[in-house]
Amino acid sequence: MIRMDKNDHAAIQAVLAGDKEAYGALVVRHSHSLFRVAYRITGNEADAEDVVQEAFLRGYRKLEGFESRANFSTWIYRIAVHCALDRVRHRRGDETNWAGRVGETNDPEQDQLQVPDQAAGPDRLVLSGEIGSMQETALRSLTATERTAFVLRHMEDRTTAEIGAALGIEPNAAKQAVFRAVQKLRRRLAPLRVAT
Amino acid sequence: MHLTDEEMIQKAYGESENLASVEEHLRGCRECADNFAELERDLTGLDRVTAPERDAHYGERVWASIAPSLPAYGPLYASGSKSAERRWWANGLWKGLGYAAACALLVACAFYAGQRWEERKQQPVAQVDHKTPQAKQPIVVVVLDDHLDRSERFLVELKHADMDSAAMASPMRAEAQSLLAANRVCQKNVAQSNDPGLTTALDHLDRLLAEAANEPGGLNANSIAKLQDEMNADGLLFEVRVLRSRITHQKRPGSDPAKGGTI
Repeated sequence: MIRMDKNDHAAIQAVLAGDKEAYGALVVRHSHSLFRVAYRITGNEADAEDVVQEAFLRGYRKLEGFESRANFSTWIYRIAVHCALDRVRHRRGDETNWAGRVGETNDPEQDQLQVPDQAAGPDRLVLSGEIGSMQETALRSLTATERTAFVLRHMEDRTTAEIGAALGIEPNAAKQAVFRAVQKLRRRLAPLRVAT
Repeated sequence: MHLTDEEMIQKAYGESENLASVEEHLRGCRECADNFAELERDLTGLDRVTAPERDAHYGERVWASIAPSLPAYGPLYASGSKSAERRWWANGLWKGLGYAAACALLVACAFYAGQRWEERKQQPVAQVDHKTPQAKQPIVVVVLDDHLDRSERFLVELKHADMDSAAMASPMRAEAQSLLAANRVCQKNVAQSNDPGLTTALDHLDRLLAEAANEPGGLNANSIAKLQDEMNADGLLFEVRVLRSRITHQKRPGSDPAKGGTI
């Protein structure tokens, strides 16, 4: 039976005191937000669900190291971001076609030439509702770090400092990752911009 | 001088380090304003990438899927650094006890294995010392061989005895008495060896020796003739020779049994 009447810290104390079920309240409370960020980073529902489970498992094992002054939401969120990032990196190692169709190069001309379905007419793209798919493809062209940084900044409204903390990098490096991601996305989506 | 991409992106995300200066530039620079507007449109378009919604029970499903694999924390995991110290101490204690137990078990196993090895090593010696029949056999064989040798010589003398010579009769009687005593000892020993042939031969020898040793008035021509008849009837001399040959062969394994016999 999952109890929802405890705040995060009380639930954590209960868990550490031996009440395992108290962790269920934390899971229920934060699963949706973790799924959302996991999906945006991985771009895949199945992967996102796996990431959510893995994040909560890791969180449970590390719970004794959780600082009581910290925010559990932020803490578990970072864990989920790490899990998602690991999954994207692992997937990129396994699947050559994940981003391989677009590649990861800094050459703008080459990037534009590699955008899939570029030959398709804009009208057809709009009518078939493939704009979102093209954007997703553009997102997948980013490195794992760039994509994660962009997702956290653009979709999750996280500050540069938070992004740096979540990715384990310096804030300036996180800022640069966001810049590179935006520049790459704009280049890839330029044909779409002309069409609309 | 126009705004850089970085400055415009920072502005779009509300992180401009010098917001007033950037906004003033955008108001005065049509080109940068157009570029910034285009950037905002691009970024707005990217909002279309949205995560699919999970239903209200999603969190409970997540919990149900991971709960079985989560061990409960013990009471030692209460909050605070003291609990961490206690936990560390407890973990260290249990680890130490575990190592100690493992070492003790190892030593015990080594001790037991050593004992077993020593037992196996000493086992053959113990068997020789304690298995009575096998241990005594060489001594019995030596004594029996000697007795049969003397008996054979006595029987040979008896076979070729000069019935008219009283000088021979007296020593033969004394020898018979001596052999009779020795024969009784050998009979006792042989009785435990479960050797029917040897037992029978010693019984025959006993009867003959007893008659020779206890002949009233001493040995004379008649008694000697009578003993010779008995000896020949039983084939006692042949029997003793065969036994002696066998015993000699047992005493010296590998030697030719025929060499032990003399006529």
